This record gives sequence, C-alpha cells and structure tokens, in this order.
Amino acid sequence: MIIKVQDLYKNFGSLEVLKGINCSIKEQEVVVVIGPSGSGKSTFLRCLNKLEEPTSGTVIIDGYDITDPNTDINYVRQEVGMVFQRFNLFPHKTVLENVTLAPIKVRNMQKDEAEKKAIELLKKVGLEDKANAYPSQLSGGQQQRVAIARALAMRPKIMLFDEPTSALDPEMVGEVLAVMKQLAREGMTMVVVTHEMGFAREVGDRVIFMDNGQIVEEGTPKEIFSNAQNPRTQSFLSKIL
Amino acid sequence: MDVILHALPLMIEGAVISLLITVIGIVLGSIIGLIAGLARLSKVKLSKILGTAYVDFFRGTPLFVQIMLIYFGIPGLLNSLNEYWISVNGNPLLSNTSMNIWVAAILSISLNSGAYIAEIFRGGIQSIEKGQMEAARSLGMTHVQAMRYVILPQAFKRVIPPMGNEFIMLLKETSLLSVIGFEELARKTQLEVARTYASFELWLTCAFVYLVMTFTFSRLVDRLEKKLETE
Ligand SMILES: Nc1ncnc2c1ncn2[C@@H]1O[C@H](COP(=O)(O)OP(=O)(O)OP(=O)(O)O)[C@@H](O)[C@H]1O
Ligand SMILES: [Mg+2]
Repeated sequence: MIIKVQDLYKNFGSLEVLKGINCSIKEQEVVVVIGPSGSGKSTFLRCLNKLEEPTSGTVIIDGYDITDPNTDINYVRQEVGMVFQRFNLFPHKTVLENVTLAPIKVRNMQKDEAEKKAIELLKKVGLEDKANAYPSQLSGGQQQRVAIARALAMRPKIMLFDEPTSALDPEMVGEVLAVMKQLAREGMTMVVVTHEMGFAREVGDRVIFMDNGQIVEEGTPKEIFSNAQNPRTQSFLSKIL
Repeated sequence: MDVILHALPLMIEGAVISLLITVIGIVLGSIIGLIAGLARLSKVKLSKILGTAYVDFFRGTPLFVQIMLIYFGIPGLLNSLNEYWISVNGNPLLSNTSMNIWVAAILSISLNSGAYIAEIFRGGIQSIEKGQMEAARSLGMTHVQAMRYVILPQAFKRVIPPMGNEFIMLLKETSLLSVIGFEELARKTQLEVARTYASFELWLTCAFVYLVMTFTFSRLVDRLEKKLETE
C-alpha cells in the first residue's frame, strides 16, 4: 500500500470536516473521489501531502508517517505531486522555469539537465512550443497541462488532483483529461477529486463517495455508478448523472 | 535674483545631501523593513512581537522626536552610564559618548523608513495568492525557498509603487534633520536666509528644488510601473 490513512480527523476550529477516514491505496491505483460540495474531499486530499495538518489519525505515504512531526515533510512531498483547481502556476516565471524551478532548487539538478527533462515533459503534455511563454499568455487548459508537467518534473510516485478541470471552459476539459488518462495508463498512482464521471468510469480503478466528512461508500466505478447501495450515494448520483 | 543665484550652488549641494541620505535611508530601510515585515508575518511569537513593537514605535512617534532621541538622547544615556561606571570602577567605560551627526541622520532616517517599508512589504507579501505558497510547498520547497523564489519576487513587483511614494515622503521628511544642524537642503537654506535675510526668495527656491526632485522621481516610478505591467 503506497497510501495508508487511518482514523483521520480534521477540524477547522469547532467545525469537524473529516470524521474518521480509513483508506488504503495500492501502487498504480487510480482512485476517484466524488461527493457533494463541502463534504471534505479537498481537505482529505490536502491531508495526503500535509497542506492541511490532520487533527488526529495517521497518514502513511510510501512508508513515511507524515503525521509524525519528525518526518521530513519536504522530502515526502517530492514524491507526491499536486494539481490544483486554479493551476497556481508561478506568474513571474516562464513555462520552462515553472517546470524546472523545483528540480533545480529542491532536487539540486543541473539547469541544463532539468531543462532537458522539462522539454520532454512539455512534449508529453503537448506544449513544448510554449516553453518560453508566461502563464498569463496561455489558455486555462494549457496552464493546467503545464501545472501537471511541473508536478511530474519532481518524478513523483503519487499524483493528487483537486478538481483539475472545474475552472476550465468546457472545450478545454478534454485536453487535460487526455493527459491524465495517459498518466493513468502509464501506471501512475493517482487520487483524483472530480465531477467528471466519464473519466471516473474510464480510468478509475475505484470510486470513493464522501459525504459529511466520511467515506460513505466505495467500489469499482461499475459498482458505484450502476449499483450504489447507500441511499446518500444514490441521491448524489441521481443529481449529477 | 542675485541672491538666489548666489545661494543656488550651496542649496544644490544641500539637495545632493538630502538625496544621498534618502537613498541610504531607503536602502537600509528596505533591509530593516524586509526583516521586520517577515518577523511580523512569522509564526514565532517573539519575532512577531518584536517586529510589531518596532513598527508601532517608529510609525507612532514623530520623526522629529526620533531624531532628537537619537542625536541627543543616546549620548545623554551613554553619559549617565559612563558616570555610573566611573563612580563604581574609577575609570570611564567609553572614551567618547558624542554622536556623529551623519550616524544620527542615517540611523533616524533608516529606522523610520524601515518601519513604513516593513508595512509595505508585509502588505505586498500578503497580497500574493495563498495558492502560490501551496504550489511551491507541494513541490517539496521549504518555507524559505518558497518565499525566496516564489513569493518575494512577486511581492517586490507589487511594492514598487508604494516604495516610490515612501521615497518621496522620506525625501521631504529629511528636512527635519535641520533641527540637529545636519546640512541638507533645508538647513542650507536656513543658513543662507540668516545671512542674507532674503526669506521669501530663498525658501521659495528651496521649495522649488524639492519639487523638481519629487516630480522627477514620481515620473520615473510611473514609467517603471508601466514597464513592469507590460512584462
Ligand atoms: N481553511 C479552512 N478553514 C475553515 N474551514 C474550512 C477550511 N477549508 C475548508 N473548510 C471547510 O471545510 C468543509 C469541507 O471543505 P472542502 O473544501 O474539503 O470540501 P469539498 O468537498 O472539497 O467541497 P467542494 O466540492 O466545494 O470543493 C467546508 O465546510 C469548508 O467550508
Ligand atoms: Mg474542494
């Protein structure tokens, strides 16, 4: 198991957002997390790389207990890429610099080596011709693909996606999903929060339905989408399918 | 007219000193301000308290008082200390307790501008979207690396207009250094007026010289701002 979450609780002040999450994810597995707004999907994802500090429980990533204060979180984060809803590219840096910054500064890679790898990754997401552009000169879909390349440049073992297509115009959703599907096919371990049920069906190994800070139901896409057992899952799916 | 022409070289000399002390004040103030601004944003309680106390003191008291405190107050304190030392040990602790006027000028102007610049930097850093820090940290950068490579470069761009303002304010405020006899533009004017009694002509000229400097500088900042915008 590359991700192991046990009894994860997260409060924001007096607001209980995660109420005892237990979940294990295998290497190369693609897990899709769905659920209503405010159910704690983003918070759960952000606990997996400690952008949120869990209130209690343990989160073990590739053998490292990141809830242990002695664990070097900056090291573990190199193994966990994250893609955000709003891209969060560095606007003062070119596309190429966005992709090479962390490998150079964190992994101490030589600049020319980092650039070579970056160009490869940009090719992979179809944007090698934009290497010298600034993020503001790109469309939303292009920016999100750069963000994926930037995360991949650290050679992560796990990729987390938090609604990667929700901020995009509809015509750009496909190009981002295509890159994610390609990644899944190559065997990346992925945890994806999304409302794209087509994506979940096609590449998801497992779908987790969250509601009110808990995992209510989980199973293969087929089990969840055609044969949900829990009434809350059924009611959620009836609203979005 | 003659009296103006006669005083002008001296006044320009004063203006150069005013500019010099302002530039030094902005440079040292930026270093102090960056440290104090980061201290105020830090999670460490003590540095937050120290940063806040510094900023509150220098923004909450008049520069005039700060100048007096540094030029007269500190030597006074050192003198008392020396006298106490002599009464205990028989010999003085410090051989010289006087304050050099340049040191006093640089110290007061830098500490004062540092407090304002700390707030400018703090505002600039806080104006950067939270997602920038999160993206940087998610890539494995430390807090310091994220600040250095991601947050501060963006914040610096945003603080250029308020820094330009601070420069202009400070340039005008350096005239207060005349109270300790520091010979910048206002003091030079004062001395010339005392010699020639041409109050109106010389103070008007003085105002004009300040105006030329502040006007030129504000145009420069405008242009820089436009250039950064298009980048
Ligand atoms: N930093 C925070 N401080 C306080 N409350 C927060 C914080 N982050 C999230 N919350 C609250 O926690 C709850 C769960 O938020 P979360 O973002 O995890 O939900 P979500 O399932 O991702 O929803 P959405 O589909 O809208 O993105 C919400 O009620 C939200 O208001
Ligand atoms: Mg969310």
